[in-house]
Amino acid sequence: MSIFIAKLSTWSRSQKNRNLFYQLVFLILVAFFVNYLVSKAMQLELTLSHFESRSGFGISHTFIKDYTSNDSRWSAYFTGVINTVRVSLVAIILATLLGTIMGVARLSKNVLFSTIAYLYVELVRNTPLLIQIIFWQIIFLKLPRITEALTFGSTVVVSNRGILLPYAKPAEDINSNIFVIVLLFIIIISFVLSYYLNKKEDIDGKKFKILNYNINGSLAGTFVFLILSVSAYFILQKPFVLDLPSLYQNSKGTYLQSGGFEFTPEFGAILFALVIYTGTFITEIVRGSIQSLSKGQTEAAQSLGLTNYQSMTLIILPQALRSIIPPLTNQFLNLTKNSSLSVVIAYPELFMVSRTIMNNSGRALPVFFLILFTYLSLSLIISLFMNFINRRVTRIGA
Amino acid sequence: MKSKLFFLLLAVMSLTLIIACSEEVEEAAPQVEVTKDSHDDDDDHDHDEHKDHSTLEEVLERGVLKCGVNDNLTGFGVVTSAGTFEGFDIDYCKAVAAAILGDASKVEYVPLTASARFEALSSEEIDLLIRNTTWTASRDRDLGNDFTATTFYDGQGMMVYADSGYKTIEDMAGATICVLQGTTTELNLDDRFKSAGLDYTPLTFETNDPLQAAFEERRCDGWTTDKSGLASKRAEFPAAAGGPEALVVLAETLSKEPLGPLTRDNDSEFYDVVQWVVFGLIQAEESGITSSNVAAMAADPKDPGMARLLGVPYGDGKVADFSFGVDPTFIQHAIKAVGNYGEIYERHLTPLGLTRAGSLNAMWTEGGLIYAPPFR
Ligand SMILES: N[C@@H](CCC(=O)N[C@@H](CS)C(=O)NCC(=O)O)C(=O)O
Repeated sequence: MSIFIAKLSTWSRSQKNRNLFYQLVFLILVAFFVNYLVSKAMQLELTLSHFESRSGFGISHTFIKDYTSNDSRWSAYFTGVINTVRVSLVAIILATLLGTIMGVARLSKNVLFSTIAYLYVELVRNTPLLIQIIFWQIIFLKLPRITEALTFGSTVVVSNRGILLPYAKPAEDINSNIFVIVLLFIIIISFVLSYYLNKKEDIDGKKFKILNYNINGSLAGTFVFLILSVSAYFILQKPFVLDLPSLYQNSKGTYLQSGGFEFTPEFGAILFALVIYTGTFITEIVRGSIQSLSKGQTEAAQSLGLTNYQSMTLIILPQALRSIIPPLTNQFLNLTKNSSLSVVIAYPELFMVSRTIMNNSGRALPVFFLILFTYLSLSLIISLFMNFINRRVTRIGA
Repeated sequence: MKSKLFFLLLAVMSLTLIIACSEEVEEAAPQVEVTKDSHDDDDDHDHDEHKDHSTLEEVLERGVLKCGVNDNLTGFGVVTSAGTFEGFDIDYCKAVAAAILGDASKVEYVPLTASARFEALSSEEIDLLIRNTTWTASRDRDLGNDFTATTFYDGQGMMVYADSGYKTIEDMAGATICVLQGTTTELNLDDRFKSAGLDYTPLTFETNDPLQAAFEERRCDGWTTDKSGLASKRAEFPAAAGGPEALVVLAETLSKEPLGPLTRDNDSEFYDVVQWVVFGLIQAEESGITSSNVAAMAADPKDPGMARLLGVPYGDGKVADFSFGVDPTFIQHAIKAVGNYGEIYERHLTPLGLTRAGSLNAMWTEGGLIYAPPFR
């Protein structure tokens, strides 16, 4: 026994051994802790088996995927997920554009531009998003009623049921899916081609020539894209046809509008609110990043004889991008999470549909876990994508 | 610094484990003993916590009843300009508070949206839910609550603009319908249109105000909810949008919507009190007891049945034991506070134009469904 204690005390004299011991204890505790949590969780019926059941409720906005109340709750849930992704994705793109323009305008020497950008940021950033969403709902509801809908020939219909625009819709036969895949390939091919040609031009230091004509990579890519896609369209026997909106009255006198691409007041309200609200934060990020660059950059650009526009797009923004992207990622995540507020104006996104399911099934906890998991997944996808972009940007800069 | 943090973490985790373990022991105990609660089959872990204490004891201890209500439905539950709550459902909160605590003002009203109400009840944010809530099988089975009794027999209706020319649901093919989320009406709507083979677009709102805004701008062709709710919303329809005359409620009743108070599952003491307060107020009407004559009736009950109801001795006899764990005079307190069923109805629903005579909500003696089991 005493030998054992003696051995132990020599063993424990080493910092390394002691650390090893602590880590072991810690690990065991963690294992117990996880085990405890898991066993607790197992007791709370966490299954989502009730998602197989018929949903029984209708959803106003369906996109890409068809849905009826005869489908399962899973199907309803995925319709909600698609609606969330749809509004978030469009809002992210538009908010970035708006924020960049406003951020640059904020620093403009033109007093009008900089004042507009300043007022925009100060007014919009300091009111609650929820109120802005309801504000936009009211604005969109003020569009003409369907009985007085504005029509522009048979191309556009505008009413507070939605704005309908001409759109392409798949023709009756099966070729449309093939066409989409082929089109994707064509896009990839054209990109690779233009990238390759531009690179070659950079390395060789001279223009790529065919029969004495200078061929610019981007131009060649566009050209190839047009030729290939148009031929594919005709080879596959016009897989998409023009879908024109229409406004009509059915036999009972109900006014209906259908066809084309539909932009509803609910989608519009949440989109505008998210874009304009998040745009203010992006404005500030862009402004801050530009200001953090040394003034010498602008002066050097000007002394090279670049115009303001050139120095902004070629010198300033590319450098600012490095410090823009990390905080921008945060804003994208916020935007996606904020889209759940659209529950108040009847845009059926993931949270709203899940709440309805929760109400009909009662099993709140597993549904909440599913909602959390879904938002987490969306956030992770955005983060991964932005990290990828960030790595590219920092590498090019280095 | 780092090592301190590490030890803190260690301490927290071991503490959690210790607590966790002792909890496990506690949990195991009742299974060894013969359970005192007959509902105690362990399939319902979500509601384990509710079994240990009764809401009745808690309300008595707290001295206040937490009642989940509507704050936006004139006639049933609404906040007045003075900031007080008022309505048919509100009176039932008051009646229960008067019965248990002897004071109708000892109520804390918790306004709830349709989609948040069941969570509020099961998470014990409230003791009692009285928010024009329909009794259905799946709500009884899945939502962890029990329906006590029906206070109002309602049915779903469809409200449209008079100038739309709609006379029946069949006229409404392709229409857009505004509806509230988490309601039975959202589901009945789909059943009705689906079975008729009619297309429609549901516009589903979480709360009533944005829904009404959309309806006023004619974003939707119809507005569907309980007929009582429609009557209330129609009566208040703003003149700027055409006033009540601009709207009609279609004759068809789409569903059965029996509304009434709910308590949590496995909470039988409290459940019984609430249920018998509802029955008591019906019996009071049947026996001709009102808020104004209840004191006189209690002093000199006409028959032993009335004495039992009011918790007073009949003649020189003894008081029958009818306490339900509260004061035997609990029904008397409730009647004093809000009056009998007919008085409550008269006060809140008649002004909405919901005629009682000839409806399902007439007394059973007059061909209605309002009926209380015997008080004995
Ligand atoms: N009885 C139905 C519907 C309850 C319901 O939501 N009613 C409407 C009107 S009858 C309401 O409460 N509206 C007011 C609001 O939500 O603000 C149910 O229990 O699901």
